[in-house]
Amino acid sequence: MDKLIFLLLIILTVISFPLAKKFIHPGNLVKIASDNKIAYVLPLDEAETVTVKGAAGDSVIEIKNRKVRMKESPCPNKLCVRQGWIESGAIVCVPNRVVVTISNDENNGQYDAVSR
Amino acid sequence: MRKAKFQIPNSKFQIFRSLFTIHRSLITIHCLLFTVYCLLFFSGCAGQDKTYKENMVIMDTVCTITAVSASEKDAKKAVDAGFAEIKKLEALLNFFSDDSEISAVNKAAGYKAVKVSVETLDIIKKALMVSDGTNGAFDPAIGPLTKLWGFSGKGAAGIPQDDKIKNILPLIDYKKIIINNSLSEVFLQKKGMAIDLGAIAKGYAADMAIEAIKAAGIKAALVSIAGDIKGFGIKPDGKPWRVGIQDPRADGIFAAIDLQDKAISTSGDYQRYFVKDGRRYHHIIDPKTGFPASNSISVSVIADNGYAADSFSTGAFVLGPEKGIKLLESMGLSGIIVDAGKKMHITKDLIGKITIEKPL
Repeated sequence: MDKLIFLLLIILTVISFPLAKKFIHPGNLVKIASDNKIAYVLPLDEAETVTVKGAAGDSVIEIKNRKVRMKESPCPNKLCVRQGWIESGAIVCVPNRVVVTISNDENNGQYDAVSR
Repeated sequence: MRKAKFQIPNSKFQIFRSLFTIHRSLITIHCLLFTVYCLLFFSGCAGQDKTYKENMVIMDTVCTITAVSASEKDAKKAVDAGFAEIKKLEALLNFFSDDSEISAVNKAAGYKAVKVSVETLDIIKKALMVSDGTNGAFDPAIGPLTKLWGFSGKGAAGIPQDDKIKNILPLIDYKKIIINNSLSEVFLQKKGMAIDLGAIAKGYAADMAIEAIKAAGIKAALVSIAGDIKGFGIKPDGKPWRVGIQDPRADGIFAAIDLQDKAISTSGDYQRYFVKDGRRYHHIIDPKTGFPASNSISVSVIADNGYAADSFSTGAFVLGPEKGIKLLESMGLSGIIVDAGKKMHITKDLIGKITIEKPL
């Protein structure tokens, strides 16, 4: 009987290994998409600057101090750059078709969507 | 993730140590406890609903679909089906694309009827219904004015000359859009007329996306196309979807509302505008005057369907706060209107249902 439990125990331990990954929440992620295709998924807590090719040219996205901004963009009105640093939500550059989103694994946002 | 790597070998080590060094009965207790822990662990994982959220640029804006499912694969499939529906409608209804069905109808204005798809016919019929309901405050025949003001096209927006506006005003008349149901045809009676569905298409697309997601067997979802939002079902935590309404003059949300199997749309003068000589010129044009409507700054409408929320928010915006609220109440719709003095007006049914998050 004990042997059986022992065996079960080992199996469960092994099974729980990959499952544990799901259980412990990863930190927030920064998703960068160009023309609706994900180009980068980066952790929010590591400083990094990346360049993404968009429809009109290169967009430069900077991650620092758990914030994200559009540093440079080839779009005409630069609304995305003017948005500045964000801690949650998204920066969208429609002309260059680049979308930067901060995703939380849990639904921590107070609102599920914003009507504007 | 980093935490996980350390925890697992650690607990494994403890289990082995207890197995080999402690008394048998203790081992049994340990095993039993571990089994209980595992059972709890599995019951917590299997079959639990989660939300999956994805963004995509369609209709020249960001569309976000959130789907609730226990399976990531099922959720993704449903989300993709939703996006596909929005893309399909964009191709049919885009006012600025030469290849859309709407453009084909507009090009044939004044000389022939054009056969259109079921979807295009359906949305035009709905638009005409809302035009009747708002007595023309919402008018899909607004196309010539949209082009003239240039708010959403590629060209820069500017103030058109008065006589140019005067000349095209007679063309802005939804009653001159003729539908032939049996032939699925649309005819614009006067040359120069043009249908622009910009104030109804996003809400309509949100409705259709939700239908596609439902058909994919998903139990709850939220579709947001710019500010046109349609929700269905409830979240995994048992609560309805919570939607914030953008402060028309500052960053952030000024009000919030729960949305269960309903749609909300907001029309504001802060989305696409320019300022000239201290005056704000924005994209919500009064079909009767040809100039931006100026009595309201933000109008949100809650309705069963996205197309109604979208088009009635434009109609109520054009009518102004008093007439707007009256119209919404008479149609059985809910709404919040912020007037030019930043005063809030709400339909009676919303009292107690809307949360004011900050003063305007």
